[in-house]
Amino acid sequence: MLAGRLAQRADRAVAHVIATTDDEDRLYAEVLAAMGEALDCTLGAAWEEDAAADVLACSAVWCAPGTASDPFVAVTKSLAFERGRGLPGRVWSTGQPAWIVDLADDPNFPRADEAAAAGLVSALCFPTRSAGGVLGAIELYSPEPRIPDDELLATMASIGAQIGQFVVRRRAERSVRESEERKRAILASALDCVITIDHNGRVLEFNRPAEETFGYRAEDAIGREMAELIVPPSLRERHHAGFMRHLETGDLVILGRRIEITGMRADGSEFPVELAITRINLPGPPMFTGYLRDITERKRTEAELRGSRTRIVEAADEERRRLERDLHDGAQQRLVHLNLLLGLVRSRLANDPASARSTLDEAIAELAAATGELREFARGIHPAVLADGGLAPALSALTRRSSPPATLVAVPDQRLPAAVEATAYFVVAEALTNITRYARASTATVLVAVDDGKLVVEVRDDGCGGADGNGSGLRGLADRAAALNGELRVQSRDGEGTSVKMWIPCA
Amino acid sequence: MAKRLLIVDDDARFRALLRMVLEDAPEFEVVGEAHEGAAALAAARELDPDVVLLDVHLPDTTGFELTPQLTTTASAAEVVLTSSRGDETYQDLARQAGAAGFVPKHELSAAAITGALAVT
Repeated sequence: MLAGRLAQRADRAVAHVIATTDDEDRLYAEVLAAMGEALDCTLGAAWEEDAAADVLACSAVWCAPGTASDPFVAVTKSLAFERGRGLPGRVWSTGQPAWIVDLADDPNFPRADEAAAAGLVSALCFPTRSAGGVLGAIELYSPEPRIPDDELLATMASIGAQIGQFVVRRRAERSVRESEERKRAILASALDCVITIDHNGRVLEFNRPAEETFGYRAEDAIGREMAELIVPPSLRERHHAGFMRHLETGDLVILGRRIEITGMRADGSEFPVELAITRINLPGPPMFTGYLRDITERKRTEAELRGSRTRIVEAADEERRRLERDLHDGAQQRLVHLNLLLGLVRSRLANDPASARSTLDEAIAELAAATGELREFARGIHPAVLADGGLAPALSALTRRSSPPATLVAVPDQRLPAAVEATAYFVVAEALTNITRYARASTATVLVAVDDGKLVVEVRDDGCGGADGNGSGLRGLADRAAALNGELRVQSRDGEGTSVKMWIPCA
Repeated sequence: MAKRLLIVDDDARFRALLRMVLEDAPEFEVVGEAHEGAAALAAARELDPDVVLLDVHLPDTTGFELTPQLTTTASAAEVVLTSSRGDETYQDLARQAGAAGFVPKHELSAAAITGALAVT
């Protein structure tokens, strides 16, 4: 009878703890205390499985007030039991409660000395279990000899199951909570806007980047119709039609692809957006998640790149036309004259040798001029000395020929990649030509140096300044520099001379 | 009877040299020069030449555009086009414009001009 009452008390005490405790970290301590008091035990310990090490480790120890049991407590906390070893180990291994009437007598109780010192005589131990098996064990110690009792043992088995299920359920809940936290953290730290809507098009989730990009707070956006918030008025009809069509037909045209559309901010301003939509497949009505990215910057860069490429192609065509014109107006014209002169020489040879001879002199002079012009022409296309000798001799020659005279302050001796040398040469040539034509300068300097993997080219003059950096000539040079991942900068204030400076990587 | 010829080209030295070449030839008598389309039309009206030696590339027009105007004025001259650009395709363009033919500048001579006229 007494034992039956003890069992009921223990059962009720543990049920109470499970119902009322919401701190699972304190669960074991409270269960031990409740059971200990209900069963007149003075010490208890809870053990849990450490799956990685395949041992039982101590999770909590309880002593009734006034018990002197420090060594026992200490050794209990420090031990870990393999299956079958010690009291918790044997319970873990058999999955059945165990009862030791006399601890001093038990062959498988490593803590016998400490127990004796603490005045502990009997012990009972039962497994905590869940649907998945044994999770651990709970042991209770008494200073009085205790006789095994079937009803108590049955009760302990039932308590073990309740505790086990509680622990497992709490773990699952925590796992879900942590997963939610992780998901939230991922969404918050995502660079892209992530907006989730339900089948009515109402916002369910609105992450931080979405808040920042579109200008709504998440709490203001959630529950509102997404289209009203971020789709420009002119596009809402089409959006709505597409959404409805998908819901009706399952039509997947827009899903799972990146498209570029226009989005709208809270202030009504519109901007280009890259969008990908996926459908969330969970039981229930469909939900959709949109991943959006503000591509204003990208569009601007693309446009600039297209503009630059077009200009380069046009400049190349223009250059060809100019070359053809130069050839035509220069050397070609001279050759036509030469042709006529030689015709005259031949027709006059017989009857008027003196005239023939002087005409021949003219022809020779014309040929010399034509040859000179062709050489100049070739040098304008690509000077041989640049290919053969590099920037040093080529720029020396260029600065020597320029007017006003230009000083070559510095030029590297080493050879550089052909595209780099050509660009540097033509930047200097163009800058010097501009100086001759427009600057009204008295001196000019050219400086070329290699600095930190880049070639720096600077042409300065002391003329009237006011050069237009956006004029086609200078912009063509800027495009050339940009095509080689470099940049060009023009400084030209009125009355303060001009500096044209270019950096291009040359490493 | 020497044919009266008008030279139209914007290169002065070319006009001078061609004049010398043609003056050496009995078939032609150079009666005038013009450096552009407007001047050419005026000279044609005034001088009434038999032949106009006309450069395709002029500052204010092209030889192809000018040819119909020259051939339908009172002088009804024959036009021989020339150029330092262009190739055999210019022959067809020249005839379509109403000229007698086309002679590339580097082949120009009295005989070549006569040859172009003879094709009509």
